[in-house]
Amino acid sequence: MIELNNLHVRVGDAEIIKGLTLSVPSGEVHALMGPNGSGKSTLAYALSGRDGYAVTSGEAKLDGADILALAPEQRAAKGLFLSFQYPVEIPGLSAIAFLKAALNAQRAAHGEAPMPAPELLKLLRAKADGLRIDAEMLKRPLNVGFSGGEKKRFEALQMAVLEPRFAILDETDSGLDIDALRIVADNVNALRGPDRSMLVITHYQRLLDYIKPDRVHVLARGRIAASGGPELALELERDGYDKYLRAA
Amino acid sequence: MIAAELPNRRTEAWKYSDLRAAFGDGRPAMAGDGDVIERLAAAAGRTDASTVAPGKSDVFVHYLDGEGFQPSAETINVGAGGVYHRILIQTGPELQLNFCRVTLGAGATFRQFVLAEGGKLARIETHVSVEGEGAQIELNGLYMCDAGRHADMTSVIEHKAGAGQTRQLIKGVARKGGRGVFQGKIVVERGAQKTDARQYHHGMLLEDGAEIFAKPELLIHADDVQCAHGNTAGGLDETALFYMRSRGVPEAQARALLIESFLGETLPGWAPPDVLEEIEGRIRTWLGGAA
Repeated sequence: MIELNNLHVRVGDAEIIKGLTLSVPSGEVHALMGPNGSGKSTLAYALSGRDGYAVTSGEAKLDGADILALAPEQRAAKGLFLSFQYPVEIPGLSAIAFLKAALNAQRAAHGEAPMPAPELLKLLRAKADGLRIDAEMLKRPLNVGFSGGEKKRFEALQMAVLEPRFAILDETDSGLDIDALRIVADNVNALRGPDRSMLVITHYQRLLDYIKPDRVHVLARGRIAASGGPELALELERDGYDKYLRAA
Repeated sequence: MIAAELPNRRTEAWKYSDLRAAFGDGRPAMAGDGDVIERLAAAAGRTDASTVAPGKSDVFVHYLDGEGFQPSAETINVGAGGVYHRILIQTGPELQLNFCRVTLGAGATFRQFVLAEGGKLARIETHVSVEGEGAQIELNGLYMCDAGRHADMTSVIEHKAGAGQTRQLIKGVARKGGRGVFQGKIVVERGAQKTDARQYHHGMLLEDGAEIFAKPELLIHADDVQCAHGNTAGGLDETALFYMRSRGVPEAQARALLIESFLGETLPGWAPPDVLEEIEGRIRTWLGGAA
């Protein structure tokens, strides 16, 4: 479970998140919607610990423990996962080598030995099968030449392998056509579980037709302007963000 | 025979590698004809010549790992349809100068990979002359320069006959006080139609105070050719670093993996497995074993 309390985030000289309070209990999927520039990605980066995204006040707790003092890799080891809007291409590093490094680094953080190679391969193949991802993809350089859909599916595979407690999906729908969107949504749905919470960031309601959220929050000008059930997303689709921008 | 003959930064071909300054008051002997390094090597008695008979294949691994001033030069003549594979591993800490002059016959192949850790001044210079139709050239390499180390990779490829193919990929990294130099000239003569040449150099400055100099040149005198080149120098991709850390990989290990991946693209797939392993091992050692 993630709990954010009166969070303020600065990027450079600008305060982007201005007192955000939100919690996502275990087992739930919440959607965070908002217009461009409302601070959605800033929140994702600040929670993951990216340099340049300074939390100036407030709290962020994962399973009751403060994460703000931790390095990004420590947050990951605690169970935080960010699915990137634009997954990074790394020529020269195979997807499988990347997954191996990530998994074994997290195991090391938990005091476990590296996973033996045959076991690792078996695990990756099983997880890929479970998401109906072609394991051949793992041999290619990380995200290089992957289509938009493949990149997002590989993000889902990483999530499946790393088994986070809390996942942020940053604009998972961007750059996907409707078929790819459906497949990626299926992958994400397959990863829902009682021990995991997710925050799905999007500015279109469309994604939420496929990933049904338990709660929907509207982010406007750095604060949660409204929260409600799935019907709130439909209302936003119909009426837009105007009233929240005026009120905020 | 006097120090004044040595090139310095006012000499165009040596503008980033001041040989005269590197010798200080020393006056190395020179002999014979040819380029500076060839004359130094001739005086030191460190020259070599080899010929690959048409249709034959050779692989050679050279180590430039001695102490002190080490000039060496060789000429390689690859006959029609012959194949020559050359690997050079330069680790010697002081003055390492190597010159290689290659002549390629029709359909001949020359593939080279250089790993240079630099020295007080290290220069690996390769001149390739394409004299027969349809020759294939691969000229890859990487440099890794720590404080006080200077690695210079200089090459001149002259396509004098048509339908030749050149692939050159040089990558390098430098830490504070380290200096990498890439000078690559590709000349396509008027008669060398259908030449296909690609030249890329990418440098990564790992710390403030690192230096990388590059002088890529394409001189094309033929009109029916495909030539491309690219040259970049920058720092480690911070977004990629964050991506890896967000997956749980500690910063030092993430940096090492990213640098290893960056350099790894130059590695020779054709090298014998034990040599390839040795090269990979050297990269990891240089990076501090974190990967």
